[in-house]
Amino acid sequence: MRNLSSLKKEFLRKWIKGLRKYNSQKKNMNLLERKKAIKLSADLAMASTKDKTTLWRKALFANTSTKIDDEQDMSTTSSTPQKKVIRKNSTNSYPLRKRITGRRKILRRNHTKERVEASFIAMRLVKKRTRKLKSLLPGGKFMDDSCLVDETLDYIESLKAQVEVMRCLVTSSELFINQP
Amino acid sequence: MLHCLNTSSNLVGGGNISDMTVLERQRARIKFQNEPQQFSGNGFSSSHQQQFMMLGCDSALGEIVTNSMKPDPDYENGFDEETVKKRKTDNKVDLNSKDKRIKVCVEEGESKIIEQRKGQKNTKFNNGNKNKRENCEDSNSKENSKGSEIQNQKPDYIHVRARRGQATDSHSLAERVRREKISERMKYLQDLVPGCNKIAGKAGMLDEIINYVQSLQRQVEFLSMKLAAVNPRLDFNIDELFAKEVFTQNFPTTGIPSEMTNPAYLQFNSAQQLVSCCGGLINNMGIIPPEIGLCRNINAPTSASLPEIFLDSSVFTHILPSSTWEGNFQNLHNVDFDQARSISFPSQPFTGMVEASNMKMEM
Repeated sequence: MRNLSSLKKEFLRKWIKGLRKYNSQKKNMNLLERKKAIKLSADLAMASTKDKTTLWRKALFANTSTKIDDEQDMSTTSSTPQKKVIRKNSTNSYPLRKRITGRRKILRRNHTKERVEASFIAMRLVKKRTRKLKSLLPGGKFMDDSCLVDETLDYIESLKAQVEVMRCLVTSSELFINQP
Repeated sequence: MLHCLNTSSNLVGGGNISDMTVLERQRARIKFQNEPQQFSGNGFSSSHQQQFMMLGCDSALGEIVTNSMKPDPDYENGFDEETVKKRKTDNKVDLNSKDKRIKVCVEEGESKIIEQRKGQKNTKFNNGNKNKRENCEDSNSKENSKGSEIQNQKPDYIHVRARRGQATDSHSLAERVRREKISERMKYLQDLVPGCNKIAGKAGMLDEIINYVQSLQRQVEFLSMKLAAVNPRLDFNIDELFAKEVFTQNFPTTGIPSEMTNPAYLQFNSAQQLVSCCGGLINNMGIIPPEIGLCRNINAPTSASLPEIFLDSSVFTHILPSSTWEGNFQNLHNVDFDQARSISFPSQPFTGMVEASNMKMEM
């Protein structure tokens, strides 16, 4: 198990660096933009901590880089279409996936026989859940079962660290604002 | 010589050689082997045959004699073509597992013959034996042969020993290895994800893992939104200053309660946090009262209530917030929560706060 505190330190430093860069590029961002900026830089920082090159980190890099590129392209235009584009980027993949899984389910019912034995039910449950876990992890569609478990381990650790650091920052900034 | 002829004539009594059954031929061979000790079983050279031919026997009889006198591998050439084909299709690697088949088989006479013939390494003969003994063969021996075959041919693969009472098929072995790997890693996950110790079984644990990852991701979303709301300009300069100090100290690892997603709770708790911070500070960090007094002077114009709470409850803030926090957490989440840690956790940003305000004052 890695040293959590060192992970957090690293994450925080990188995150703040990223945020500063982001801040220098654009001024007067609204709430959503800021949130997006925070999240992006946090993701990047999380993905770049430690030397391990796991699948989800690479996928996270790819995702965030595309998002940043899209935002930079849209920076020249006015703010409202920018917001729409950003929202589209962040949410467009989700409904597609939902539709696809729905179709898959329907197809399955038509073509395959239902087996009522306990072992088959258990197998189906496990398969359902691994599919869901794959959808949760960044870059999860490309992993096989054993790889998946490793990646989730890593991802959970970094998510934990990220959440704790963010929470610390939130409370501190809150407290700071309460007493200017 | 005549003795031999007699025996051969007995053999022929049944009719043509081709009509003789397999067993009869075997028995003939056995008799053949046992009786004449002068003839060494292996060293039945063609010269003997020729001598017999020269005896001036009838041509037909001579054929019979030569056929019967030939060493067994050639003897079997008289078999039907069908059996020959069967033999040819048989796996030649059976040579390796010959010994196992010998043990399996019932008739001892045949085993004797096989052992004598070992030196010859005649694949046809061995395959013929296999053909005859198909009834006696166990599935185990077959699988053993396959296993040994695989191990011989692929030395760079992972060697797995099959346990007692388990299938030795290569596919099932590989599957078992894979399954064991996965279960080992699930155990690690059990330690990471809180509340997974009681659950046994992949499906339930996967469910917990999914819930946990989802909750963590939602927390990140919410916290980033909150940060965006709190900071109008996205500048963390001062925070960075104190953050360095904060994180150089001992950063505790707290459990992650999911109730943090509730914003109302956070705001409700901010005062309590301050109180607990101060209490924690005094108890853990041992900050000198004059500093606190300075703080108080600075904070007087803006929030007068704060230092009062601060000073009054300094002794028992350690106890008070712990109970409230614990109550809240137990209501909302099943996670085991370390009280001491929860208190010291918010205290650390406060140290930075104090120092930042001190710096302000100095400037």
